[in-house]
Amino acid sequence: MAIEAPKPLLEVRNLDVTLKKRDTFFKVLDDLSFHVYPGEILGLVGESGAGKSMTGSAILGLIEKPLFISKGEIIFNGQRIENNAISVRGSLISMVFQDPLISLNPLRRIGDQLVETIRTHISLDKKQAITSAKNLLEEVGIDKNRFHDYPHTFSGGMRQRVVIALALAPRPSLIIADEPTTALDVSVQAQILALLKRLCKERGTSIILITHDMGVIAETADRVAVLYSGSLAEIGATFEVLSNPMHPYTQGLIAATPRIDPETLNKKLYQIPGKMPNLSEIPDGCPFHKRCLQTTPQCYQVKPPLLYERASCWLLENKTGAI
Amino acid sequence: MLVVRKQNWCNMSFLTASRLSRNFDLSEPWILRKIKGQPKKLLKAVDNASFLVERGQTYALVGESGSGKSTIAMMVAGLLKPSSGTVTINGDNFFEPSQNKIKRIAMRKSVQMIFQSPYASLNPRWRVGDILKEPIVTFNLIEDENDQNRHACELLEQVGLFSKDMSKFPHEFSGGQRQRICIARALACKPEIIICDEPTSALDVSVQAQVLNLLKDLQREFSLTYLFISHDLAVVSTMANKIGVLKQGILVEEATPYKLFSYPEHDYTKMLLSAAPDISKPY
Repeated sequence: MAIEAPKPLLEVRNLDVTLKKRDTFFKVLDDLSFHVYPGEILGLVGESGAGKSMTGSAILGLIEKPLFISKGEIIFNGQRIENNAISVRGSLISMVFQDPLISLNPLRRIGDQLVETIRTHISLDKKQAITSAKNLLEEVGIDKNRFHDYPHTFSGGMRQRVVIALALAPRPSLIIADEPTTALDVSVQAQILALLKRLCKERGTSIILITHDMGVIAETADRVAVLYSGSLAEIGATFEVLSNPMHPYTQGLIAATPRIDPETLNKKLYQIPGKMPNLSEIPDGCPFHKRCLQTTPQCYQVKPPLLYERASCWLLENKTGAI
Repeated sequence: MLVVRKQNWCNMSFLTASRLSRNFDLSEPWILRKIKGQPKKLLKAVDNASFLVERGQTYALVGESGSGKSTIAMMVAGLLKPSSGTVTINGDNFFEPSQNKIKRIAMRKSVQMIFQSPYASLNPRWRVGDILKEPIVTFNLIEDENDQNRHACELLEQVGLFSKDMSKFPHEFSGGQRQRICIARALACKPEIIICDEPTSALDVSVQAQVLNLLKDLQREFSLTYLFISHDLAVVSTMANKIGVLKQGILVEEATPYKLFSYPEHDYTKMLLSAAPDISKPY
């Protein structure tokens, strides 16, 4: 399969992001590697503090002091992205943030905001930009006549649609959606996810979907990467990861997710023991070993690499034929 | 005599809401209305909702934002007066004009709330010990200060925190731990009903599992009655004994979880069920 795979749009290679605090260094992201192929949705899952949003910021080149990229590289379309690369940010890679209430300027009409974004990135005159903005609004399911309205006249879901239109404006090839539906209702969430899926199919845009909800991943993502305290725990096709999780953390996350199933009503949920360590407390060896129920002596000493391009766990070493 | 009373208890539901309505007045000031000749503009937040909750059970209210879930919660907690209809808890009504003050305080003590955001519902300038002691002091439950501290420590241990956390401030805790503090505070005055208003929607999945399990354990231990409000059907399915589906203030369907998830009747319920992301059917 690896031979036939198309050239990845985005490659993150052995990325380390380090936090410098006085004279001590903490690794926020630790040896993270993954690819995004053109036209696919990659889900990034993990608890808060796992480094999901940090990965997004690193790709956009938004890492600032006291954080810095200490190792590794990000390659987009065959070119290395330097930190603070304004040429890429916004035009080739754009971002949808979690809270639609604060990512729009409340004092400006949404049309003006769209036109501004379009004209910053693409050389169009004002008239062309307005038509293009109106088309974008239609594409995300908002009436053209609302072009001159202020953000406060829209509901949360509509505002998130406007934000998505803003992200689409410069015709990016990658959108990083950082928890785009966390602030929304279930039914609106379903609409927004369907919209993202449709745009991904129609435009061939790749999407990195950052979320903590396994259900959202199951509904939308083609592939999923599970992060745990800054390192990659497991990566693979969504169906395989969800139906046959290899890493004990993924297994725990899936078991802890409540599901609508008449058979499991009123049963207790599975609880992963303990909590995710602080940056200063990440143990040697596998970062998950303190909460893991299937540890081997190896887990305490050596950090497992990504085995079989699937999971960073020593348990996989002995299961050669399992995948 | 005692036996008769006990039987009465069994027959009557613990928490009863009958024909509950609440309107909010959105109209312009009186004088402008008279000049323009407009009628009053009323928003029906809750419209004729009736439900019963038995002692020790969990009743869940599900619906989108704006469907009136929290308005019902406020009326049950006695924080908002219903426009019409009544809420009775164990036979008593908050807003009965003849209700005396002592009884009303006793009722307040028996209904407590856990709010959605554990970040906003704890005073950042108070220590955890003071937060936990506030309901004890307010309701005059324990006079002696040492006993108050001991009770607060016990509460912290019941929710899985440590007694050394008493002197910490809320910002020193993670989201899940803060929600545990909120639960401990709600338990402090030994309530009978706890209203959980989206208690886990600000939390991560693994932390959510811990908080939901804790709520279940506490329910068994203290035979608490929960009014559980959420928009997440999956969460509700693990907690509720009975589910009411609210749409624009109207209770459109009420059923046991098994029946609701297997054979939903109302179109709105079907829509909610199909919209809920489900981990067991990957795309």
